[in-house]
Amino acid sequence: MSKIGVYVCHCGENIAGAVDCKAVREYSESLPGVTVAREYLFMCSDPGQDIIKQDIKAGLVDRVVVAACTPRTHEAIFRKACEEGGINKYLCEMANVRDQDSWAHWHDKDGATLKARRLIRSAVAKANHLEPLMESSGDAIKSVMIVGGGVAGMFSALDLAEMGIQVYLVEKEPSIGGHMIKLDKTFPTMDCSACILTPKMVEVAQHPNIQLLSYSEVESVAGHVGDFKVTVKKKARYIDFDKCTGCGVCTEVCPSKVKNDYNYDMDTRKAAYIQFPQAVPKKAQIDSEHCLYFKSMAKTGKPACQICQKGIPAKKVAGCPANAINFGQKDEFVDLNVGAILLATGFKPMPKDPFKEYSPQSPNVVTAMEFERIISATGPTEGELQRPSDGTKPKSFAFVSCVGSRDKKHHTYCSKVCCMYMFKEARIVKEKYPDSEIYLFFIDVRTPGKDFDEFHTYCREMGMHVIKGSRVSAIDELPNGNLRVRGFDSDLGQAVEVEVNMAILATAIEPAAGTEEFARKFSLCQGAEGFLKEVHTKLYPVETSTKGVFLAGCIQGPKDIPESISQSRAAASAAAALLIPGKITFDPLISEVNADKCSGCGVCTPLCPYGAISMVGTNGDTRAQIESVLCTGCGVCAATCPSRAITLHGFSTEAVEAQIVTLARRYR
Amino acid sequence: MAIILSEMDKAFIGEIRERGGFDIRACVQCGKCAATCPLSLAGFPFYIKKLIHAIECGMREEIMEDPSMWACQSCNRCVEVCPQDVKPYEVLLALRRAAVRELSVPGNTIEGLRNYYKTGHAVYPKGYQAKRKAVGLSEEPPSTLSFPEMLEQLQEFLRNSELNEVGLFPMKKEEKK
Repeated sequence: MSKIGVYVCHCGENIAGAVDCKAVREYSESLPGVTVAREYLFMCSDPGQDIIKQDIKAGLVDRVVVAACTPRTHEAIFRKACEEGGINKYLCEMANVRDQDSWAHWHDKDGATLKARRLIRSAVAKANHLEPLMESSGDAIKSVMIVGGGVAGMFSALDLAEMGIQVYLVEKEPSIGGHMIKLDKTFPTMDCSACILTPKMVEVAQHPNIQLLSYSEVESVAGHVGDFKVTVKKKARYIDFDKCTGCGVCTEVCPSKVKNDYNYDMDTRKAAYIQFPQAVPKKAQIDSEHCLYFKSMAKTGKPACQICQKGIPAKKVAGCPANAINFGQKDEFVDLNVGAILLATGFKPMPKDPFKEYSPQSPNVVTAMEFERIISATGPTEGELQRPSDGTKPKSFAFVSCVGSRDKKHHTYCSKVCCMYMFKEARIVKEKYPDSEIYLFFIDVRTPGKDFDEFHTYCREMGMHVIKGSRVSAIDELPNGNLRVRGFDSDLGQAVEVEVNMAILATAIEPAAGTEEFARKFSLCQGAEGFLKEVHTKLYPVETSTKGVFLAGCIQGPKDIPESISQSRAAASAAAALLIPGKITFDPLISEVNADKCSGCGVCTPLCPYGAISMVGTNGDTRAQIESVLCTGCGVCAATCPSRAITLHGFSTEAVEAQIVTLARRYR
Repeated sequence: MAIILSEMDKAFIGEIRERGGFDIRACVQCGKCAATCPLSLAGFPFYIKKLIHAIECGMREEIMEDPSMWACQSCNRCVEVCPQDVKPYEVLLALRRAAVRELSVPGNTIEGLRNYYKTGHAVYPKGYQAKRKAVGLSEEPPSTLSFPEMLEQLQEFLRNSELNEVGLFPMKKEEKK
């Protein structure tokens, strides 16, 4: 017969305020198997835990039921107390009489007390069936793959590399730098974005512990925490990476002009191109979709153009001086073996097209990201402020906030950075051209963050017009290319209109393209809004439901640069904490197949969300087998198995049935 | 009717700042002043918060045509509570200075100023002499009324002030009799 100790926690007033703890303790003493029942103000405190430890040491109890709060936050603490007392830590069960009882039934004290009795009774019934379990462990490979070479991925890479961990940084674009390198200046300090980021990009590229895989994508991933096996596709550049010196001759002689996606199609680049002047790595690549060589080969089988390779000898135009052009290059696949994976694939800004009320057909209506390029020294006009429709210098601007954010038709969330970047862009303009008339339309001004509100008030003092209280209802295109912006000013209590040369839309931050695919590839949870979900918003903001896979930056939700960097360095430290000890402990609360009972029906295999179950054996004599390191103990297989051949340790059928039967019995 | 912001008087805010409302742009429209302002409590359309924003919007005509600014009780509560140190009352005084420049003043203000010039008292009720005498006081109070040379000095001062340039009423140097 087991000797169960029941420990009823008051949780200050949280439980005791609704539950008669003394009555519950007295009731617990009468339950079968219970030898000791005690109550205390805070069971999780040191003296609270000591009560449990002393009872175990004194031989009074060999199993523990704690009637307190949620196991999600406190189970580990009480298990540890059991272990320190001298029993197997899995002989501990919790009855959640706070979240499931006192909080829910605060105004029904008698009912809450009855329910507490019931919850404890069922926990005791389960405790009778608990078995001691042992944790297992495996080796951890000290290397991390980081996907995404924006500011978040870069800072994670540098921190991990500095800790002596081998890093593989996978970036799908030809250069690292992400969105930040496209910005002109950054709030709240007005640092030149390129000036502060370029040295970091170079540091990433030169660090001996970082292997940069640019122009590459994750093809497949297998394995588990400590030992992931990843295949990365290095896309063919058609230019020999090692030979290319980044001199740019190919980009000058290439005759094929293409819209430049780096500048949101506002100018052109060549089919042979270097992504931007400070690109890291500074290498050229050929865009095979638009290259005349590839186009003509597909059509006629004959090359129409090889100028980048051979030049035009008759005109004394030279081709690549490094002899690096290689039209025959193929995609290359690289296999990586890493202990952890860090996802930092960022966001994409919404385009203006879905907002028909804002005249997206007008070239003078631009998104904030496009405007950022227009005012940037490396942008389509090389920093010259020009109106897209006619090249004139615009003098008046309307900034429109919450375009696609806080809107059930698009995204319900606040994109968090728009208020600040609107002020920042307005300030860049106003500092350069003090005569500019600037109108900023907000629902409300949201500037929480270090030095942010000071930035806001400074902008007001510069003489910007801040119109609060409404979303802009319409932007109309006028015959002279100007725009009439219509809003409501709640400070005036009146509808307002303004005619401006340009309108800038602060469009929402969206999860980057392919985020959903990532969620599937790595078995991660994706929130309704499309961003990947952390394990716990407050306590575990960088961990995911797949152990060993971490999140950093905007893949987890909208963030500004300081926040992205903070999170990326947090993720790096979480990954390092996992890998540096060299061993990874696996929870024993997982499922196991009893091969003697398994009929080999295979029902469980496709249901496992983690792909942990495979069928082994031959000639019709197959049995399900669970890869223990992949199993998270969700219990789907155990619940499904028609032969009851699968046991979820810690939740055996007997234990769960005992719990249910006791719960369902009438109140006493 | 919507207010067309781009057609408003962009020089207005500059004038108000020059005339004493220098910190007006620090206003973030938090509304703490409006919550204490007697103008908003009494239901005047342009209470101090809205006045400040309307000045920023360049709504010169709308403000000048409205009597709100003259209803300010000079309680100074707005200055005491303003978290941005805008000194709203200073803005209001600057606004009144601008209004006087445009002769956009209520009739009784002109009357008060005329009294002030003539007697040294803005409010000058008639027939008080007998009452003063009845309680044992001198017929005229010990002010400019009792000291004509002081009144002369005051008039000299006013003639040299901007008020004379505005020309709300004639300020002639009276010939000595």
